[in-house]
Amino acid sequence: MEWERKLAQWRAEGLIDQETAERIRAFETRQPKKRKLPLLLIIGLIFFALAVFSFIAANWQAIPAIAKVGMVVTLMWIFYVLAHFSEKKHFGHPVIFRILGYVMFGASLIVTGQTFHLGTGSSIVPWALFIAAIAHFFILRHSAFTVLAFISGITILTSAAPGIGLIEWLLFIAVTLAWFFLSKDGPTMIFSWLLLFGSGFLVWNLWDIDSPLVPIWVLFALTLLLLLIPQDKHKLLSPLYLIVGGIQLVVFLAIRGESDMSFAELTMPESIALAIAGAAVLALAYFRERHLMWLGVLGLVGFMLFDETAIALAIVAELTALAYLIIAQRQDQPLALGFVYFIVVQFVIYVIYAWERLDMSLFFLIGAILLFVLSGIAWWLNRKKEGAVT
Amino acid sequence: MKKWLMPALQTIFVALLVVSFYATSWFGDEYLLRAEPYDPFDPFYGEYVMLQYPDLDAPAGIRDGAVYFTLTEGDDGYAVIDRIEERPFFGAINGSKYDRRVVAPQLENFYVEQGRGPELEEAIDLEVTIDVAPWGSIRPISIAPRSE
Repeated sequence: MEWERKLAQWRAEGLIDQETAERIRAFETRQPKKRKLPLLLIIGLIFFALAVFSFIAANWQAIPAIAKVGMVVTLMWIFYVLAHFSEKKHFGHPVIFRILGYVMFGASLIVTGQTFHLGTGSSIVPWALFIAAIAHFFILRHSAFTVLAFISGITILTSAAPGIGLIEWLLFIAVTLAWFFLSKDGPTMIFSWLLLFGSGFLVWNLWDIDSPLVPIWVLFALTLLLLLIPQDKHKLLSPLYLIVGGIQLVVFLAIRGESDMSFAELTMPESIALAIAGAAVLALAYFRERHLMWLGVLGLVGFMLFDETAIALAIVAELTALAYLIIAQRQDQPLALGFVYFIVVQFVIYVIYAWERLDMSLFFLIGAILLFVLSGIAWWLNRKKEGAVT
Repeated sequence: MKKWLMPALQTIFVALLVVSFYATSWFGDEYLLRAEPYDPFDPFYGEYVMLQYPDLDAPAGIRDGAVYFTLTEGDDGYAVIDRIEERPFFGAINGSKYDRRVVAPQLENFYVEQGRGPELEEAIDLEVTIDVAPWGSIRPISIAPRSE
């Protein structure tokens, strides 16, 4: 063995005395020997598994429907049993076996769907996977199942979108809200919040409306969650509200600046209602989470969309970006998010107003100079902040 | 015990899903439908033939959108629409109507053996055998070229 050879070498060189060498030898011989599978056996097992799979694949159509489903369900059980022994005998990672078991559940649903010609428009499979992932999360409290539940939730929203009914939509919101409130876990609250936000977009499909303001209404509706969650969770979710709000303002600026918005139905009563809702959000944020007072600005988007030049939107985006940066700098808060928003606003404004007016080479040259200058300002602000800290 | 809950519930769910399909055949009636294909591919479910049904014509007065209908066997042995309404009624198949053609989600696509899609597409005249349960659910059974 390697350690015996080294021990003899160290002893011969006089680095350790005989007594130490004996103690090391006694210690090493007491250690449990690692049981390794012979390489040939591993290769053999891989080839055997491949052969079994290719045999099944080649005869797939000849296998009775019930046997196909049974095979995948058996595989699912094998992974859950492996997870159990992995936990008991301390080998591998039990959670990975459970994830594989969950994946096999998905596979068994797909095989059932294919075997019995389940319509592709059906949302049974993503619903089953969504509920199963959430249930796994509550039993195991592992973040991997948060991600799996989020992916299956997104699949429900996308697969059900064309023909979703009111009951299915309300059910999705109810399940996601329950997950949001009962999880008490940061990443899970963020992922479930994103699903709640995504579900709001289905309003377009449900009532066949053409209002472009739906995303803002959804964000405003989600601010009501602030009344129901504890204060420490406000800190977790407030950057999410601000990021989504910032993205919405920039997207509205880009769309209004680059199109005539003939596809959307803009009405003054809805704009007035949005402004009132914006004022309510402002008041709510003032009492519950002052960082979110910025969202009140979105209440004016309805009015600003009537301006075909998009100048009002550009001015508001520019002012909010600058004001946010200045306030964050003064209050010694992180500047990264604010600066990214600031740079994105500059570039959207630059593209809207310069793209068709400048020669292409000049457009890119000025754009590069703008980016260089903005990066310089970011570096200078950061340096100033670091200096203040030290 | 808690760790076995999910695999057990998942197995029960898959079993219920499978039984619901078999129940359609146990308690339902068999119909033969004229069908015409076109041939896409689904990355998860594999190859399937998209089908439309020339005999499933909606009568005048029914608007495009969700419809509810039952089938009956026509004189030539192929199924035609028996009753069609814009409101649900017991035993009706949930479908949709667009431009006179009526189709149900489970009748729209038929999963076939890999590579068989183009062959069925070339045949153009197809017939599909389905079972329809008394409560309106459908189980597609087989697809074959039509000989008439």
